[in-house]
Amino acid sequence: MSYLEVRQLNKRYGPTTIFEQIDFSADEGEFVTLLGPSGCGKSTLLRCLAGLTGVDSGEIVIAGKDIVPLAPQKRAIGMVFQSYALFPNMTVEKNVAFGLKMQKLPEAQIRQRVLEVLELVELTDYARRYPHQLSGGQCQRVALARSLVTRPRLLLLDEPLSALDARIRRHLRDQIRRIQRELNLTTLFVTHDQEEALTLSDRIVLMNRGKIVQNGDAEALYTQPVDLFAAGFIGNYNLLSAEQATQLTGQPFQSQVAIRPESMQFIAPGLGIPAEILSHSLLGNVIRYRIRAQGVELAVDVLNRSAADLHPAGQQIGLQLEMSTLRQVA
Amino acid sequence: MKGRGLALLLLLPFTLFWVAFQLAPLLWIAINSFWSEMNTRWGWDNYHDILTSPFYLQAFRFSLDISFWSSVYGLLIALLTGYSLHQLGGGRLQRFLISFTNMTSNFAGVPLAFAFVILLGLNGFLTLLLRHYGVIDAFRLFSRNGMVLVYTWFQIPLGVLLLYPAFDGLKREWQESAALLGASRWRYWWHIGLPILFPALLGTFVILLANALGAYATIYALTTGNFNVVPVRIAALVSGDISLDPNTGSALAMLLVAIMALITLVQQYLVRRSYLNAKQP
Amino acid sequence: MSRTEHLYHRVMVWLLFIVLALPLLATLLYALSSDWSNTLLPQGYTLKWFIQLWNDGRFLTALGHSLLICFGALLFSLILVLPAMFVIAYYYPRLDAVMNILILMPFAVPPVVSSVGLLQLYSSSPLMLTGTPWILIGCYFTIALPFIYRALANNMQAINLKELIDAAQLLGASTWQAALWVVLPNLRKGMLIAVLLSFSFLIGEFVFANLLVGNRYETLQVYLFNMRNGSGHFTSALVISYFFVVLLVTWLANALNPERG
Repeated sequence: MSYLEVRQLNKRYGPTTIFEQIDFSADEGEFVTLLGPSGCGKSTLLRCLAGLTGVDSGEIVIAGKDIVPLAPQKRAIGMVFQSYALFPNMTVEKNVAFGLKMQKLPEAQIRQRVLEVLELVELTDYARRYPHQLSGGQCQRVALARSLVTRPRLLLLDEPLSALDARIRRHLRDQIRRIQRELNLTTLFVTHDQEEALTLSDRIVLMNRGKIVQNGDAEALYTQPVDLFAAGFIGNYNLLSAEQATQLTGQPFQSQVAIRPESMQFIAPGLGIPAEILSHSLLGNVIRYRIRAQGVELAVDVLNRSAADLHPAGQQIGLQLEMSTLRQVA
Repeated sequence: MKGRGLALLLLLPFTLFWVAFQLAPLLWIAINSFWSEMNTRWGWDNYHDILTSPFYLQAFRFSLDISFWSSVYGLLIALLTGYSLHQLGGGRLQRFLISFTNMTSNFAGVPLAFAFVILLGLNGFLTLLLRHYGVIDAFRLFSRNGMVLVYTWFQIPLGVLLLYPAFDGLKREWQESAALLGASRWRYWWHIGLPILFPALLGTFVILLANALGAYATIYALTTGNFNVVPVRIAALVSGDISLDPNTGSALAMLLVAIMALITLVQQYLVRRSYLNAKQP
Repeated sequence: MSRTEHLYHRVMVWLLFIVLALPLLATLLYALSSDWSNTLLPQGYTLKWFIQLWNDGRFLTALGHSLLICFGALLFSLILVLPAMFVIAYYYPRLDAVMNILILMPFAVPPVVSSVGLLQLYSSSPLMLTGTPWILIGCYFTIALPFIYRALANNMQAINLKELIDAAQLLGASTWQAALWVVLPNLRKGMLIAVLLSFSFLIGEFVFANLLVGNRYETLQVYLFNMRNGSGHFTSALVISYFFVVLLVTWLANALNPERG
């Protein structure tokens, strides 16, 4: 049996279903991401795991025990919020010590553990500061320290990086992952950002409109999206109707098809499928072209290796694609 | 710039009337509190007379007593009920009650005095009710306790309206984080909720205190000047019922203003020391 | 929020309502009862007190006086404050801090205290204002100022005054044209709220009215006080009527409000 098991979880709010028949599990030390668009129910699911919101039916089992009837105080779960939720009337030190104080540990032990965890998040020099004197990234690290110091069995993170700017986000992302691995802490991470999900997770649970769409590791989700929604959400798939796919390749297709933009190459004009460049955008290390081949518009990604990879609009080009990279989605 | 010069002219009427009706009286009082009519000389005579008179000292004692306790009770009730009102979250009930509270804050004064006589006078509705059930034997409205009760009543709506915005500042996530870290409801309030509200609570308390210290209409209508508090004494000295002595009245008024200024300074100091103004260590 | 929590909050709120409504309800009951001396509930019900009240010339005069003074003072205040606030907001924004201190004064210096000075300054020529409604208009201006200022300041901040005038100027208007045709119409909401807040405050004012003017220009509150030795039923009907008038004006102001606050 896995360390964390969520079985048949359901929640409604009046006539609206927030999520239904949620079934997934996580092994000890695993980093699982709940990924999905806004309103898909992932944040509410997290709150239900924490005990901040009730569920209508189902079980949440940690190490063999169902925690649904337990109050949040008794669940031994740590949570980091998007808005950090640091107590403004306490210093960093006192914020982090709070959970230990509630456990009524002796003063010396509290001081020791607080020091340890502040070293872990690299904030030892900021112990005496107040939250309003810290930057966003620092606040989030304090929030993380505060949840870790009580040695919880499960760590929940609700879009913790969304309020931070890009550079800090990347740095903090790596720091969170490093700490999580070091502590071997089972972690559930909620985000709507697919890049975060793909880089951080051992496994991704993709949700849409209250249901789990796909549950697997990053590679599986990226290369084998199970349906149209998954293909549209992860990566930058080209989504073609059956007719368009037939038109493009000459092979018959029954259902919609997804093609990844990087799975196609440009070759000399006379070879492969004839195509015309419509426009391009420079994304830094990748150039994204919009082309038209056999009347179908496609996006093609090419690595920005040299000037030879820059093709002007209107140029005729040859398109090469492997049939195996075309994925049929319902 | 020509526009600016002309604009300054527009400030003139406003400034003129403000000086005439707000500043000038205050200046007159400040200056003339030092002129003793009795001894026909300038000096601290009036202040000396007041501070050595048992009668006036009693007035200060009663004023501070009633004001302090009505503010404390008013603040507590406003905190509890105001918070619940805030937690009801939107909806018709909440909006109705907020406007209702707004309206009752203007009921104070003569109408309130009459209403309380109906309720708690010698033959008042509540007096009879409580006597019938043997709860209290004799409640005298025209006593110190009666005054505290009446003052508390009109402090409540003011307290609720002043504290209400502060509740918006209590983020739900703080309570949730605290719960996940093992804090029960009570411990959350003790360690986090109340400390965060502290500046607002203190500020509201000071305003309630000033409100009660300066209140005249209600207590005058209830007791027609027979209850010895400072505003009643001041008015008696200038409206010539018995003794017309505007200079002593001025001194009394200045002392009242000084007390309120002192309370405000203490409050400012306490707020400055709170976490809100923590400097870099 | 759990169900018990919700219940607790509802109970607290209803307690608040009952405590605040009790004096009002008691007055209403007293105004409608024919006799209620020492029994738990009234002996009988009647409307005669209200009829007697609204036929009383002295009451109607006092009501007229009150309404006149309150609206007069409000109008006077708006005429003084609007241009001043506009000038500060557009030309001298740093004076805003000064204004914030000025409006604190009525709270630090209660009416009882101001009356001492006012009586001495304006009781003799050349400025014989006490005993006339004019001194009340001046005083009411100072105590309504905090409410008017707050309401207008919030409104001005919401409409982003400087940007609005700059935009109007780019379209060819002079500063004063912009102020009149662009800013003023957008301040309607603030003015309405200012009137709302101040009106009920002013009409309930007793201290200035009694000490500075007294019976020479009897307002509603002074009249009420003067009737204290008469029938309790009559004075109760008076209080209810006064409250009703305030409700009416408040409702009117709300109805004139273009959108829900």
